[in-house]
Amino acid sequence: MTRGHRLVAALATLAVAFVAGCGGASGGGGGGAGTPGAPGAAPGFDGSTIKLGVVSALSGPVAVIGKEITAGNKVWFDHLNAQGGVAGRYRVELVQEDHQYKTDLAVQRYNKIKGDVLAFTQLLGTPNTLAVLPLLKADGMVAAPASYDAFWVREPNLLPIGAPYQVQAINALDYYLTEDGGSPGSVVCSMIQDDVYGEAGQAGLDFAAQRRGVRIANTQRFKVNTTDYTGQIQALTRAGCEMVFLVAAPSDAGRIWGAAAQTQFPGRWIGQSPTWIDEFANSPLTPYLRDRVLIVGEGTEWGDTGVPGMRDMLERIQRYAPQHQPDYFFTAGYNQGRVMTALLEKAVERGDLSRAGVLAASRELGTVSFDGLSGDYRYGPAETREPPRTSTIFSVDPSKPFGLATRKYNFSSPDAQAYVFQKANL
Amino acid sequence: MKAAGTVSGGRPHRNLTRRYEQDLRLFGSPWSRAGLAGLLLTYLTLPTVLHDDFWLSVLIYAGITSIGAIGLNLLTGFCGQVSLGHAFFVGAGAYCASVVGGDLGLPLPLWLLAAAALGALVGGLIGPFALRLRGLYLAIVTLGLVFIGEHLWRNLDGVTGGNSGTSVTAAAVLGPLDFDALNLGGEQYSRNQGWFWLVWSLVLVTALLAKNLVRTRPGRAMQAVRDRDLAAEVIGVSAGRYKVGAFAVSSAIAAVGGGLFGTYQQFVSPDEWGLILSVQYIAVIIVGGLGTVFGSILGALFVGALPALIDRYSHAIPGVSAGVGGDGVITVFALNQMIFGLLIVGFLVFEPRGLAGIWLRIKAYFTGWPFSY
Amino acid sequence: MTALLQNVFAGLALGATYALVALGFVIIYKATGVLNFAQGGLLALGSYLGYTFTNSLAVAFGIAIVLACASAALVGAAFQRVVLTRMVGQPVFAVVMITIGLLFVLDPLVTAIWGFDNLQLANPWNIQRVVAGELVLGVRDLWSIGLTATVVAAFFVFFRYSRLGVAMRATAFDPEAALAQGISARRVFAVSWAISSALAALAGITLAAGPGGLSPAIGLIALTAFPAMILGGLDSPAGAVLGGLIVGLAEALTRGYQDQLFSWAGENVSVIVPYVIMVLILLVRPYGLLGTAEVRRI
Repeated sequence: MTRGHRLVAALATLAVAFVAGCGGASGGGGGGAGTPGAPGAAPGFDGSTIKLGVVSALSGPVAVIGKEITAGNKVWFDHLNAQGGVAGRYRVELVQEDHQYKTDLAVQRYNKIKGDVLAFTQLLGTPNTLAVLPLLKADGMVAAPASYDAFWVREPNLLPIGAPYQVQAINALDYYLTEDGGSPGSVVCSMIQDDVYGEAGQAGLDFAAQRRGVRIANTQRFKVNTTDYTGQIQALTRAGCEMVFLVAAPSDAGRIWGAAAQTQFPGRWIGQSPTWIDEFANSPLTPYLRDRVLIVGEGTEWGDTGVPGMRDMLERIQRYAPQHQPDYFFTAGYNQGRVMTALLEKAVERGDLSRAGVLAASRELGTVSFDGLSGDYRYGPAETREPPRTSTIFSVDPSKPFGLATRKYNFSSPDAQAYVFQKANL
Repeated sequence: MKAAGTVSGGRPHRNLTRRYEQDLRLFGSPWSRAGLAGLLLTYLTLPTVLHDDFWLSVLIYAGITSIGAIGLNLLTGFCGQVSLGHAFFVGAGAYCASVVGGDLGLPLPLWLLAAAALGALVGGLIGPFALRLRGLYLAIVTLGLVFIGEHLWRNLDGVTGGNSGTSVTAAAVLGPLDFDALNLGGEQYSRNQGWFWLVWSLVLVTALLAKNLVRTRPGRAMQAVRDRDLAAEVIGVSAGRYKVGAFAVSSAIAAVGGGLFGTYQQFVSPDEWGLILSVQYIAVIIVGGLGTVFGSILGALFVGALPALIDRYSHAIPGVSAGVGGDGVITVFALNQMIFGLLIVGFLVFEPRGLAGIWLRIKAYFTGWPFSY
Repeated sequence: MTALLQNVFAGLALGATYALVALGFVIIYKATGVLNFAQGGLLALGSYLGYTFTNSLAVAFGIAIVLACASAALVGAAFQRVVLTRMVGQPVFAVVMITIGLLFVLDPLVTAIWGFDNLQLANPWNIQRVVAGELVLGVRDLWSIGLTATVVAAFFVFFRYSRLGVAMRATAFDPEAALAQGISARRVFAVSWAISSALAALAGITLAAGPGGLSPAIGLIALTAFPAMILGGLDSPAGAVLGGLIVGLAEALTRGYQDQLFSWAGENVSVIVPYVIMVLILLVRPYGLLGTAEVRRI
């Protein structure tokens, strides 16, 4: 028993040594933190390598999202390390942990690696982030949440990216009313997943509808993984919906649009970005989707090399993850890497790569540009942060790599400008 | 009754159980008293030796699971009523702690009691279903409770915060002891250290209560109902009363566990009280051993801490990628889950009575020594 | 009226799928007295095997279904033979827990092989439809109703007339007496696991042949089939079918009329309606609609 145990421990030590050896191969020595003016060693920073935490769903049903975001994190930091690392000097190593999208595991995994990492470059899921938030505050650490909730904007310990879902919904309604044939008298409906993600979209839609004098005629809430959506489509048909704003995950979106296609539901669908996967562009649903569906998201279409951010990202995917398929969540993870790097460079500039240094740097971090992958984000003290309020409308086009073509690029409606971000009030 | 076979005239070579009262003693033999002392010592010193927040939080969650599992074992292991609805009561307890301890700001004993009272009340209301339904029929009906509960949690926005969940700000203060920031004799302890002591002391209290319950008349009556309820009725046990009572007690304990869960985590959302949690509790008591209080604790440690241990060592297996973007056939995370499942299967094939069964085997070996075959 | 019929049809199609899964539960329960929690995992495995046959190996859809069902049956029977035979005579709970353990193994196994992405199973049904007056009938829905009806009819014939079927009934009725007649209980147990796994695979493929495609979460439908199984009676195959149809109809109708009739009860009532109906029926008939009441002796 003991011998076996020791053997396992020895093997584990070997493996750890091996992995560490691979991770820190280049860079030549390092170790000493002593050069004057350089930041001293701290938990998660040994003087040459910065360790960042990734707490994500890497197994279980939500892993379909978690793995993509993590792949995005990885490609960004692989690229950064090839350039020499943060500020050209400090290599970054990711420490991945799996919370299976459960809050208790999220807390445990956070505790497991918080002593080894300087900050968290990904923390997936709204409930998990809310469960870890008190600990982040107590430990004075910074994490980049991987969900587009409006709550995060005003939390000093969080480093969100992108336009929150509310903004997407607001801009989507604006597009429908101004350029897609809608009018304040149109019958606007929504179909949302019955959880926080769905409610974020609904909140934006309600806000915009109220400002534009539009009535939301019907809202269908559904539970994730419902098998059959005929009933809801019937109800939307009965209500005479001309536009339905859809907040769903792809497997549900497929069944929803499938039921709609079968009964030839005549209305317009505008889906929030995560509803889409490229498989839809090459399926029996495609003709219906091409006629009826628009997607609201951020940045540009996949493969649009005219946008510098997209061009660079594709090049880096080619180099560091050549097998990778186009995916919306990948971009989110990639952008998280970018903002975390900006934050760390700020901390290096301040000469303090410790938790307190990173937290202080987040208050001084200015505007971070995402080169067109997402709107620019003005960071700084949480009270004055200004997330991008721009969205892009895509139409379905099977000839594109991700099946989506840009229809209206990077616009922001007056309603989106007027939206006020508040702290989570729980 | 045990060891009676080794008597061979003259003085017995060890203490014999000669009377019923002796058999009922909780910590009868010197060995079990020594074991208890050892456990108490471990309990007191562990957090001072083990500072690591990860292992402490794993053990805290395992302790909370132990409490809930003792409750479920009273119902399923001792009274024979299978319930897949345990997650509902755990959730109810968490929200109760959030309201009583957080919004009303009442102290620790009160929110724990309030959670227990709510659990007992709801459990008592559900109990009558058990009078008509048996076995798996009851199990699936109680499963309905989980779904109906989830519907409630998502729609009772005022209490539960709806889909976004709610933060739980209940204070863990007991007299001069603030377990969130424990200060003993000038020494400052971390939140996890304080909570380790709090949770495991409550595990001890719950275990003693349960142990006491099962060796008294109601406990024996419950076991009679489990073994054959008709026969129990014939010898004068009101099966209905004890079934409902077992539901109430089990739910009360589950709700206490839930209150601790919510308060330790400081945030709860409706996603947490699903079927998976119920199945996990069932797993804990089966792996630990049905009808044993100690087994519930062992099972909770097994189910709670084993994944963490696997996680610690599975990197050593060849062909496993350390994470997304690494090389290897399978990621370490998928592998961890598979190993966990395989261990459960293999373990139960080896010992269907669970961890407590192994414990009994070891005990029987030494009790019968040197005639241990 | 059309809308109502449309919802009823959707309910029947949904109910047919539930019925297949519930039938799988019932067959294992009848033969071995165990509730198989791994049914969802087997369902996912079967439908992913179907994907491999149709998409990767380009087998014709009809043959792929047969192959996937056969492979799933093999997996189920092998599991019974290798693991569960060792558990004969052990507490039922330990066996139930082993099936939970199997579920824990199957889930990551499926995602390790096929990944997490949503896959589109190549099939001739998808969103094809037949229009009958104002009513739109999905081809896949028609097939799943038809397949379930065929399976149920086949079962009736199998249990009534085939040697093995009669042996299975005999074993379920009285294992010891059956053993005394020379019926191999081991064989009966293995066959019931095989049949049940094949049914799960069939249900999985008909589900995945729809527009939602195939994702690892497909196995969750097994949990929604719980009330269907209990409602009809745990040991009654006919009850499983009846229960499946009732649950499917109830779910589809509440979903279709949520905003008109059920808004008072909160959102998404359709999720809990099966359970509410189940509780109400069980209060009147504690062994389900067609289940056998347990004879209790002291």
